[in-house]
Amino acid sequence: MAAKRDVRLTVNGVAYEASVEPRMTLVDMLRGELGLTGTHVGCEHGVCGACTVLMDGRAVRSCIMLAVQADGAEFMTVEGLASEAGELHPIQQAFIEERGLQCGFCTPGFMMTIHELLQETPDPTEEEIKDALGGAICRCTGYESILKSVRSAAKKLQALG
Amino acid sequence: MAFEFPKSLDDLPVSKVKWVGKPVNRVEDPQLVTGKTEFIDNVTLPGMLHCAILHSPHAHARIKSIDMSRAAALPGVVTTLTGEDAERWTRPMYTTPQGWGGYVLATDRVRFVGEPVAAVAATSRYIAEDALELIDVEYEPIDPIVDAFAAAQPDSPKVFEDHDDNIMYQRIFTWGEVEEAFQKADHVYKESFRWNRVGANPLETFGIISEWDIVEDSLTCRGSFQTPSFMAMGRAATFRLPSNKVRFIAQPHGGSFGGKGGGRGTDITLMLSRKAGGRPVKWIEDRMEYLSSGGSQAWDRHYDVSIAVKDDGTVTALRVKLLDDMGATAEGFGATGAVKPMASFTGCYAIPAAEYDLTLVATNKLPVSPYRGMGPPPHNFVLEQMMDIAARDLDLDPAEIRRRNFIPADQFPYIIASGNEYDSGEYEAALDKVLEMAGYEDLRREQEEARAEGRLVGIGVVSTIEPGVFDWNAYTVIGTAGIGIPEGVTVAIDTMGKITARVGFALEGQGQYTVITQLLAEYFGTELEDVRVVHVDNLSAPPNFGPGGSRLGVAITGAVLGAAQRLTEKLTKVAAKMFEVQPEDIELLDGMLRVKKVPESQLSVRNVAAIMLNRSDMLPPDVDPSPQATFAWTAPDRVEPDEQGRVKSYLTAANACHLVMVEIDPGTGKVEILKYYIADDCGTRLNPANVEGMIQGALAQGVGAALLEEYVYDDDGQLLTASFMDYLLPTIHEVPFPEKAALVTPSPFTPLGAKGAGESAIHTTPAAIMCAINDALLPLGVRAKEVPASPNRLWKLIQGASDQ
Ligand code: FES
Ligand code: FES
Repeated sequence: MAAKRDVRLTVNGVAYEASVEPRMTLVDMLRGELGLTGTHVGCEHGVCGACTVLMDGRAVRSCIMLAVQADGAEFMTVEGLASEAGELHPIQQAFIEERGLQCGFCTPGFMMTIHELLQETPDPTEEEIKDALGGAICRCTGYESILKSVRSAAKKLQALG
Repeated sequence: MAFEFPKSLDDLPVSKVKWVGKPVNRVEDPQLVTGKTEFIDNVTLPGMLHCAILHSPHAHARIKSIDMSRAAALPGVVTTLTGEDAERWTRPMYTTPQGWGGYVLATDRVRFVGEPVAAVAATSRYIAEDALELIDVEYEPIDPIVDAFAAAQPDSPKVFEDHDDNIMYQRIFTWGEVEEAFQKADHVYKESFRWNRVGANPLETFGIISEWDIVEDSLTCRGSFQTPSFMAMGRAATFRLPSNKVRFIAQPHGGSFGGKGGGRGTDITLMLSRKAGGRPVKWIEDRMEYLSSGGSQAWDRHYDVSIAVKDDGTVTALRVKLLDDMGATAEGFGATGAVKPMASFTGCYAIPAAEYDLTLVATNKLPVSPYRGMGPPPHNFVLEQMMDIAARDLDLDPAEIRRRNFIPADQFPYIIASGNEYDSGEYEAALDKVLEMAGYEDLRREQEEARAEGRLVGIGVVSTIEPGVFDWNAYTVIGTAGIGIPEGVTVAIDTMGKITARVGFALEGQGQYTVITQLLAEYFGTELEDVRVVHVDNLSAPPNFGPGGSRLGVAITGAVLGAAQRLTEKLTKVAAKMFEVQPEDIELLDGMLRVKKVPESQLSVRNVAAIMLNRSDMLPPDVDPSPQATFAWTAPDRVEPDEQGRVKSYLTAANACHLVMVEIDPGTGKVEILKYYIADDCGTRLNPANVEGMIQGALAQGVGAALLEEYVYDDDGQLLTASFMDYLLPTIHEVPFPEKAALVTPSPFTPLGAKGAGESAIHTTPAAIMCAINDALLPLGVRAKEVPASPNRLWKLIQGASDQ
């Protein structure tokens, strides 16, 4: 076993410090060490997108990153979407209203990807939405309701300005 | 006493229906979108260990020796397990058909790549996986048996030495005068087809935490169980323990689609916990394990089909010969998928005679599992290709030949040749709806124009049945026991008037808790917020099975309405005493118990429940102070099958009609879906948004099955598609968003007229897409007979055509 390394990072505005083996994946650190279990693991080989989190604003797949690579970075996970008082984020509201989920296992990953998309492209076209989501898998919904969720979330966010 | 279930929404005790039948938001969702739902991998118990499983790298080999000593010595490893432990502590796995399996860990032989051979429990998953590399297994490889046809030969080498051959099951079912129909037919069409292995792939794999209390020999398992009570009974049998000492707690889970698997992982973690002095042992199956050794694979089929047809297109008989490759064992109920087509053997058609020549064969591949739809999707694929073949030869439009053969709307309930009864249907109406939505004639013109330009454009139009509300009697012929599947609920009203429903199944994605909430809020005239649904373990829950067989929506509706009625009877007695009238004089309406025709004499359900709990002085003598009731529902009028396997099995028959237009790129063989239309009739829709979501989800799985998904084994029995890089699931780019119409032909047999729903698109989509592909290929004179119609297959077909 290689010597442990210290990793310091910020998740949803909270600073964390952990001592991890260099081989530990980022998602195992988030879930196992920091107790942030809202990020899920669907494939552990970078294909499904369930483990997507935002690292310095960019969507990354936390199953194929090492925790030590995250040192110094700022993260956002699904736990960071709703307000501290429990008010849901417009993306979360949109998913509920448009039925963007069934089992909900893929949902945190999709929502983080959509968060990135709508930051950069507040009013995306259908093609832009599909391109953004084309690398993520949902086995339940057949995607139509996810697409609608994105449109609805975009409207809500724009209305908020 | 006999229960009268409300036959339609109008029969509910309300002046205006407020919740049921409406697309209300799901009660499940706020927790899910905030990442708070307790999926099994989110659960950590004190002292918990982590399991890793060593899988066989060989498709077929003798195990000469296993040496666990180096693994056991690794710091952090607490205990290890091999087939010897399994032999000592368990019975061989339960299989259907019986006698085709071994122990949960291989003993003397491995029979498929991925078969569990040994396991360890360690303080972390990382250490447990390190330990796997220190296990020394000496194998002596044996030639694997991979090809189903070769395996079915009498002189084939054998998967199981104690059997005479590899035939797990063989039987010819004959229904009606099949031979005569073929002799008298004006036309006989024959074709062979191949459906390659596909499977469920829920996004969450199987996971479990097992605890074996070594003092009282009791078990507690938490996990992503689709059918917790059923699994608990299995464990009691496997470990020869009293069944009330086996406790199963199902966590919410990330989908299942029948293929969650997990039987072996459950027993392995339990034995590890036992050896570790009772410490909890967690195992989360990883995706590669799921693909190669989990509940991932289904339907590996070789078909020979023929139909007898009259000049006018009437089909008089259907013969289906199926060789179904079960893989190495008959564990996990995969074989039921080969029998289920008997519940809708002749599809939407009034075909009077049919024959099913069924052979299940063992090979050195992963044992097959159930998958959404449970078997008819490949059957529908072959049946519908035959309809198109006949239509073409007889110069009939594909829609027309179907119309001519549909069971007419006035003939329901209708018993099909293979014995099941269809409750109701309007097949022609659904077809007409789809043709109208699509602008069928214009589409055909568009197709003609495209063809004239040399483009390969085709249209498929297919109607199917979704058998709903499964019953064990559908599977009696391959050895399952019992008739009826109770699904229960306990409904309780507390002193504050809030309602709690306790059920035995966990969240899985279909939105069933929402449906229960809608029903109870409606029945007792409350808001949705006043109702909560909780899952309780198998020892606390009323009899239950959980989701499966397109059954739960109907079954839980029956259970909820039954419990609500029972509870109302109690409340009624109390109210009657208060008003000094007879219970018959009291009625429930809009949440009030009132004296009939004296509307001012009324008490709310909430008040009566509070009186029951807090004023024993006001209780009638025959009422206990408990505003709760339990009811378990099962389908009525189910019996044993006759000698030809004919039986009323699935209670409902939903119907879907799909029309799809595709274009094939001759340069690449890639199929593009140009247009897609769906008319779906699953009776009363309790929550239309739930139904629509499941139709779209099943459509995506159907697109995957038709065009992308395939488990490929090489000649050595090695799985070549053990990752999502190789096993291709549809993404947002591949899945069409069809225009969808809802027809409602209520079931006369079920509470509120609902039918089993959620699978219809996987029954229909692969057949429809393959019909469209073959329509596109028509000018080339070639036929796609293999699923999935992947680009390489179609490209080769097209090349072959141009070589001729
Ligand atoms: S779990 Fe990371 S991409 Fe699938
Ligand atoms: S909602 Fe189940 S995988 Fe997307």
